[in-house]
Amino acid sequence: MHAEQLTRALIRIAPLVLIVVLWETATLGGLVNTAFLPSPVMVFVALADLLNGGEISKNLFITLFRAGMGLALGAISGVWLGLMMARSTKFRAWVAPIVGGTYSLPKSALIPLFALWFGIGNITAICAVYLACLLPMIVNTFQGVISTPKVLVWSAQTLGTGERQMLTKIYLRHALPDILTGLRIALGFSFVLAISSEMIASTSGIGKLVFLYGENGAYDYMFASIACVVIIAFMCDRAMVALSDWYLRWHESAEKGDAA
Amino acid sequence: MTPREGSEPSRKAGLRWRSVASVLLLLAIWEAAARAHIAPPILLPAFSVVAVALARVIADGTLPADLVLSLYRAFVGLDLAGASGILIGMLMARNRAVRWLMDPLVALGFPSPKIAFLPVFVLWFGIESLSKILLVAFACVLPIIIGTFNAARAVNRVLLWSAFSLGTTHQALLVRVVLPACYPRIFATLRIALPVALITTFTAEMVAGGGGMGATLVYSQRFFESPTVFAYILVMLGIGLVLDAGVRAFQHRYLAWAEG
Amino acid sequence: MIRPKIEIRQISKSYATDRGAVLALRGVDLGVADGEFVAIVGPSGCGKSTLLYVVGGFLPADGQVLVDGNAVKGPGTERGVVFQEYALFPWLTVKANIAYGLERQGVPATQREQITKRLIGVIGLNDFENHYPRELSGGMKQRVAIARTLACEPAILLLDEPFGALDAQTRETMQDELLRLWLASRKTVLMVTHDVTEAVYLSNRICVMSARPGQIVEEFKIELDRGKSREEIFLSDAFNHLRNQVWLSVRKQVLAAEGKNAR
Repeated sequence: MHAEQLTRALIRIAPLVLIVVLWETATLGGLVNTAFLPSPVMVFVALADLLNGGEISKNLFITLFRAGMGLALGAISGVWLGLMMARSTKFRAWVAPIVGGTYSLPKSALIPLFALWFGIGNITAICAVYLACLLPMIVNTFQGVISTPKVLVWSAQTLGTGERQMLTKIYLRHALPDILTGLRIALGFSFVLAISSEMIASTSGIGKLVFLYGENGAYDYMFASIACVVIIAFMCDRAMVALSDWYLRWHESAEKGDAA
Repeated sequence: MTPREGSEPSRKAGLRWRSVASVLLLLAIWEAAARAHIAPPILLPAFSVVAVALARVIADGTLPADLVLSLYRAFVGLDLAGASGILIGMLMARNRAVRWLMDPLVALGFPSPKIAFLPVFVLWFGIESLSKILLVAFACVLPIIIGTFNAARAVNRVLLWSAFSLGTTHQALLVRVVLPACYPRIFATLRIALPVALITTFTAEMVAGGGGMGATLVYSQRFFESPTVFAYILVMLGIGLVLDAGVRAFQHRYLAWAEG
Repeated sequence: MIRPKIEIRQISKSYATDRGAVLALRGVDLGVADGEFVAIVGPSGCGKSTLLYVVGGFLPADGQVLVDGNAVKGPGTERGVVFQEYALFPWLTVKANIAYGLERQGVPATQREQITKRLIGVIGLNDFENHYPRELSGGMKQRVAIARTLACEPAILLLDEPFGALDAQTRETMQDELLRLWLASRKTVLMVTHDVTEAVYLSNRICVMSARPGQIVEEFKIELDRGKSREEIFLSDAFNHLRNQVWLSVRKQVLAAEGKNAR
């Protein structure tokens, strides 16, 4: 079984290996100007150096902290807001237009505003991430809760479920697949906004690092840092998917058909 | 939430009334808070002051120029992404070799924050429009590929079989049956990609300059011209709303045949 | 001896699943004469739909299917198909759906218009010709699907549980319409259904299939006076006797399948 899984994994990675090989060959053959595109080997060396020196881990940790904080806060408030909106038509009536309106606002546009208010640093980044994560969590929680079939609620009632328990054991439980989908989306946003904030208004973090390397012409380090970001984001996403799958194994809609 | 499509006119009117009321209320609170000097005017200029600043940037041509430039970049990038994304998605659905090649690229690329690649695009294509257009295309193409691929694979086989029985050739099948069957889902993906295009454009402009809404926004922040900052954010919000309404109108007009 | 319109010879078909190969059909032989209405019945999952898809040319299989003596290599306009799920093109109006096959065949516009209009009249949907499928009821959709198939004037009609998705009353109406159409045109019809009553009512020969792997285990010749009304037919002894026989035969197959599983 494991050998089969291994071969399958290798086949999936093969195109990447192919591209790296082609890239290296092109560089060696002089087709590529290393001033614009450092060779894979150069990038790898830079990556090793970064990992050794702790430069990357320090900044990566800062970025992950910002993204994580914003995500956690956004998720908790988002689920609560979505739940309230689904359960109270009055609440929904007043809040929905605001939520709908902010959907159209690119949250990164608020980064300069937050920089104006909170200066350059963690608060700005966390605020930006928070707001960006809020929306998908609200929308998905709302959708999940509002679609709870009446027959489920009625069955629960005849089985003696109290009001408080209804919220947690029935509505939220039913909404869980949607909430997890929203969380995956919010995770993606958290990375984007954390890095955007760092590029626009920060002195630390991996976004800033990439930007600085670019400005100073250390392109192999720049590519190496970007590679780090891509890999970390990918791993976090995979972890999120694995978590969702594991948690939802009882749910009918747990399918693995999509490409991503 | 955005009003459910096709709700009765009275419900729509009620919702719109509420939206307007919410907005007016917020504006009133804003104005009152600013006048009461809850925060220094530099952090919270009154809405009236912002309105004046807005009028100024429209009149002196800054805003129109920036807006046109940003929208141009966003739309060209989105078009590029759309054309290539749909093509690649369809090819992936049809051809196993293409699918094998693209699979790891899509899987890796999808969760990664595309903005992290901005310095690469700037390195290769400068700080003018080209780098931003290509970054936007890069950011939008992946969800479009995934959406198209999933849509193409999900086309019900009885639809294809009926088409064959009615004399459709294999070559004609793609254009006559697969593509039209996928329109609703592809359109939904494009609809999601639109805000991504805008966000990426604005953020790229904020980080790398080169004109456009984002660049002016960041300059205003750096020079503490808060009324302009607020004004630009409001315009971005407005643009988002207008475009979303436009997209919905288009969907209503041309995709009325789609289920749901 | 006149050659049968459709000759199904030793058709076998297996599917690959996660748990290995599954044999859906085993050595099925069947001949359908020109103008015959043959119904295939059997327990769920016995492969009757699969057999129909093979005849339609959508699925490859071991063995041969001959139509007018020629081997079937793929789908073709001489074998019209109607699916349970209607399979209408949602982006085309009723009119455009019906005209689709004619367009594919290069029929000139005026002729297309004529044929389409006539068929829309036949199915009684004149007021709906510019509607989209999603605006139609199940019965209406199925009518459009049938009209679309008939537009190309296929000599053979393959019907895969065509009324399975409809409610009981609509089903009865559609059955009568199908009967009317068949009596008027005398096309060769091969229909798959799980409804024994429907099979007896419509067809003049019923083939009973065993559970998977499917084989034809029994045949019934149906000779009813179709000039009579539905009420007269349903209340007649001949009809009920036939229906009971066929039902019993299918029941035997269902029990055999369960017995197999129970072991």
